Amino acid sequence: MDPVKITIDGKEINTTKGKTVIQVADEVGIEIPRYCYHPKLSIAGNCRMCLVEIEKMPKLQIACNTQVAEGMNVLTQSPKVLAVRKAVLEFLLINHPVDCPICDQAGECWLQDYYMEHDRRESRFDVGKVHDRKRTIFGPNVIFDGERCIKCTRCVRFCQEITKTNELTVINRSDHSTIALFDDSVLDNPLSANVVDICPVGALTDRDFRFKVRVWYLQKTPSICPGCSTGCNISVETYQNRIARFKPRINEAVNSHWLCDEGRYCFHDLAGGERLTTPLIRQEGGLVAATWEQALQAIYAGLKGSPSIAGILSGRNTNEEAYLFAKLMKRFRADAALEVFYQERKLNEVEKILVSPDRSPNFRGARAMGVGSSDGFDALLRRLLSGEFAAAFVVGEDLTKAAEPEAVRAALQKLSFLVVQDTRVTETTELAHVVLPATHFGEKEGTYTNREGRLQKLNDAVIPPEGALPDSEIFARLLELSGESNGYGSPAQIFASLAREIPGYENLTYDAIGPQGIELGSGGGAAS
Amino acid sequence: MVGSEAASHFAAPVKIKQMEKILLRNIDVPEFHRLAAYESAGGYRSWRRVVENMKPAELIDEVKASGLRGRGGAGFPTGMKWSFVPKDSPKPKYLVCNADESEPGTFKDRLLMERDPHAVLEGTLIAAYAIQSHTAFIYVRGELAFGATQLESAVAEAYRTGLIGKKIFGSGYDLDVIVHRGAGAYICGEETALLSSLEGSRGWPKLKPPFPATHGMFGCPTVVNNVETLAALPWILERGAAAYAALGTEKSKGTKLFSVSGHIAKPGVYELEMGYPFKTFLEEDCGGVPNGKKLKGVIPGGASMPVLRPEEIEKVNLDYESVQAAGSLLGSGGVIVMDETTCMVRAAWNLARFFAHESCGQCSPCREGCHWMEKIFHRIEHGEGEAADLDLILNISGNIMGNTICPFGDAAAMPAAAFIKKFRDEFDAHIAKKRCTVRRELE
Repeated sequence: MDPVKITIDGKEINTTKGKTVIQVADEVGIEIPRYCYHPKLSIAGNCRMCLVEIEKMPKLQIACNTQVAEGMNVLTQSPKVLAVRKAVLEFLLINHPVDCPICDQAGECWLQDYYMEHDRRESRFDVGKVHDRKRTIFGPNVIFDGERCIKCTRCVRFCQEITKTNELTVINRSDHSTIALFDDSVLDNPLSANVVDICPVGALTDRDFRFKVRVWYLQKTPSICPGCSTGCNISVETYQNRIARFKPRINEAVNSHWLCDEGRYCFHDLAGGERLTTPLIRQEGGLVAATWEQALQAIYAGLKGSPSIAGILSGRNTNEEAYLFAKLMKRFRADAALEVFYQERKLNEVEKILVSPDRSPNFRGARAMGVGSSDGFDALLRRLLSGEFAAAFVVGEDLTKAAEPEAVRAALQKLSFLVVQDTRVTETTELAHVVLPATHFGEKEGTYTNREGRLQKLNDAVIPPEGALPDSEIFARLLELSGESNGYGSPAQIFASLAREIPGYENLTYDAIGPQGIELGSGGGAAS
Repeated sequence: MVGSEAASHFAAPVKIKQMEKILLRNIDVPEFHRLAAYESAGGYRSWRRVVENMKPAELIDEVKASGLRGRGGAGFPTGMKWSFVPKDSPKPKYLVCNADESEPGTFKDRLLMERDPHAVLEGTLIAAYAIQSHTAFIYVRGELAFGATQLESAVAEAYRTGLIGKKIFGSGYDLDVIVHRGAGAYICGEETALLSSLEGSRGWPKLKPPFPATHGMFGCPTVVNNVETLAALPWILERGAAAYAALGTEKSKGTKLFSVSGHIAKPGVYELEMGYPFKTFLEEDCGGVPNGKKLKGVIPGGASMPVLRPEEIEKVNLDYESVQAAGSLLGSGGVIVMDETTCMVRAAWNLARFFAHESCGQCSPCREGCHWMEKIFHRIEHGEGEAADLDLILNISGNIMGNTICPFGDAAAMPAAAFIKKFRDEFDAHIAKKRCTVRRELE
């Protein structure tokens, strides 16, 4: 890599040959406005927003397609550059409907932002605007408004270059150019909703999210997608204590800029529905409400002395929860058979870009914490179905969905004692002797270890309903009942304990896990 | 100076002065599109000599020495363009003949394709050999169906007689030629849009850099030359670079075709030695403005070039430098003559409408700006213009100029600004009186 020295706005920068002006500017924090440029897509150069002045070049040059050269002197704030930004914004806005009050993009729209920053003029356009298609459904998750589109072609290039599914193209010419689906195609690839994220304006919006909440009301919590063990970095965006949407957070070590559709919308299933808010104990005639004290006592009594116990933890439980669960189950029986829920499915080529074949984001971490003492989940499930266990403790999963429902129901009914801890009523909770109301991924803090061995932090984005307790607190209270008064408190405190015991996690501290996570064994945070 | 007698149905009989014709030398020979006729006039001798006796580098040097410049509009030196093709590239190389003649007021390539297709083909072959391309394309504008048919026949004849194909003239050189018909978009005459179209994509210009010489068709080294440029090559190789360079001016060598249309007594395609006086050409050779009317304006180089007023052409010669010094460009040599009955507002609107319709829509300034200008011209023409409109158009045109991906933006912006700047009084009157002053007074 040949070193090159360039100057941008008087600032001398040492960089390397082959980079473009916009890349170098981004690296040193000099903002050059852009629409069509996206670091993960090919250079289109069509918006002309990033035109900059380069000494000794007669015309302004687009920063996205101009490679740095020794001694290059770039001006991003010269009168010519400021004038052309106004001009380009004016061109982009003349046929735009300026319907911000009813546009979902308002508040995170690059036209709004750049207009406020670079233009701020009354429109000089007083001839008729071009009309285009409104509310055109592109696919199950994406809807298109042609009048708001600036034809930057980010969406087209995404479908050509990232998913290689080629659903979208540009049709027509001149100011009637517009984005369209190819005949007979539907924008339904497994990553389709990313086009909404990369659309800089309100042309492509999310059918699931639109009209639900104005974006400036959203609270954003950095977290990890609970959809699978890829561990995509996300922002959980909430309004009035409800999850409104997931957005990907950039992490080049994990998901780059992307998030799959399945992950993006999984919160509806995981966090939706009628919640369990009180413990239940089976009596004559069915499950009846009980206090936490009664329920925990019943569990202690039911599991203590059981001749054989199976423990099944959800793949969405955190490392901290898994660590306590393993400890707890082993207190009941040293030979308790423990597994984390894990089932694989077939992925198509597009899914393979991002998706892992499981739906257990923390299976790797949970196994490391000791939840994985037998021959894998399938083997444990077979043993459970064959009636090998007297008692079972099932956390966060509906086992009737993991195998033939009739067989699962029959096996669970034969158990002398079944504890099920979940957020909602499921077919499995219906068969339990004790049901405990727990919290979901969005309500708790903790860590996940993705399938590549990257430790990442989950944060609580919403407050759990009254009556439900975080799994870690439930396990800690049961441990206390069983005589271990270790005083496990916050996830940070539990993490400190596990970091003392679990191989591979030594010397890590909870606070050292930054927003991008830490690769286990990389020495990050384990420097000592 | 030479003219072409009944060269096409555009051309009226014109006076022929004593000067040897290069491009139009056989244009009036009956059945000259047939190989036998072309060969009997010495055709393909240059091609044979090139393949049998010349190294590509020698050929490039010869054409450099001739001073031949691209006749598509930009006037870039042809030999130099060829020399940019990397010699050591492992990729295939392509030669493309740009026969997508679409510039309003320009119909010279059409004449060559229809009446002398073998000259176009021979030039294409010579250029392909210069860059050692083994596949050449002739991209013909969709509307020029007859020209395409003539070229297809010429290519078929050349294959039959071994002028192209495998091991040409027993040498180790292979060359295939493919005639491709475009779908009629003006933008596809822009060389990189042409390549996109030829690749099977939407006819969108590509970003430069990289340039076609290194990253052209399918990312391979490619040269795109205009029909007229290529058609001059057989003569240059036959007579030598010096003979060609002896014609014309210091920087504009040889001869050039001019398509003359509009209010002129003898419209048609003319071949002129570069540097011929513009005024003499219009008044004497083309017979001047007919019906005793006065000249009001003339566009010298196709619709995308700035219009000139009569007093501006007084001392202009028809070569690249002289026309540029007068404030316009020689472009494609499409001379559009407008007499005093022409409403310049309507003429400007007419051109603006063309460019608004033909903008490819790829980059923001051209996509949005061309239609904006067209709409304002439209309202001035229809008596609804406002005083501020003219400065607004000039401003929009300035905002497009130089800020687009390809030269189309400039091509749309330049004439719009020129019409207003040169005929401002007429625009002002149109706006003030809310009607056309030119035509009303004439009626």
